Amino acid sequence: MLELGLTDEARERVAELRALSEKVQDGEKGARTELRRALRESAPGVLARCSNTGRVYRGMLAEKMAVGDPLVKEATVQQAERMALELAGENPTPLEVLLSERVASLWILTELQEALMAAWYYKGGGTPMSVVLQMARLQESAHRRYLAAIKTLAQVQKLQGPSRVQVNISGNQINVSR
Amino acid sequence: MAWERRGGNLYYYRCEREGGRVRKRYVGTGELAERIAHADATIRKTRTERRKRAQAEIEEAEGLASMADELNDATEVLARAEMLAAGYHRRKGEWRRRRDA
Repeated sequence: MLELGLTDEARERVAELRALSEKVQDGEKGARTELRRALRESAPGVLARCSNTGRVYRGMLAEKMAVGDPLVKEATVQQAERMALELAGENPTPLEVLLSERVASLWILTELQEALMAAWYYKGGGTPMSVVLQMARLQESAHRRYLAAIKTLAQVQKLQGPSRVQVNISGNQINVSR
Repeated sequence: MAWERRGGNLYYYRCEREGGRVRKRYVGTGELAERIAHADATIRKTRTERRKRAQAEIEEAEGLASMADELNDATEVLARAEMLAAGYHRRKGEWRRRRDA
């Protein structure tokens, strides 16, 4: 299976940010200033790389979802991009854009796994129970990550100011404080 | 499932699980037993193929879910760094603003 990894440089920068974040969390003196400097220097490159990788990932998920139908694939990608735009709100920071795109990617993943699950149920007694349980666990894990991604986005958006954004995800109205 | 030879004749048996124990059940001999054995073999083969197909689908779904793990991890690191840089800290899973930030 193809791995959608980062470049070595991006990986190093992420490791540096992680280490500095831990120092800040531990209350080390001067670490927050150092983290701000590292973020200013590293974040644009890492964000761009993550954004590109995320786009490729969404394309792959949409392709699997479309089962060979280019129209369905394109429609899925477009819907995910619309969702990401709506979630990001007005004048989003690059990080907000990336986080919104991640929510959109995970939305496709949860939809895809629901479709696979439905297909197996439709097949009736043909699917072994162990496989159904494995798929249910995968579906649950994807759903948990999807909700966690929404929460992270909301937390970062809260930093930006007190406006209020209403978004609609799969028919559910969600209010995100900004 | 097995054929057993006794006194020059072949007898077909099925192995069945009953209450956690495996029991051997006599099915028959001759042409009828051969046909039943053939049907059993076909059913076994179909089940094995179905299980393999389902396992391949599961592995594909797992692969799709995990292939962006590094990307997700990097995104979380960026978001956490942004929160910490903005003067927040994490306490018992909740983000709180530091008074001295």
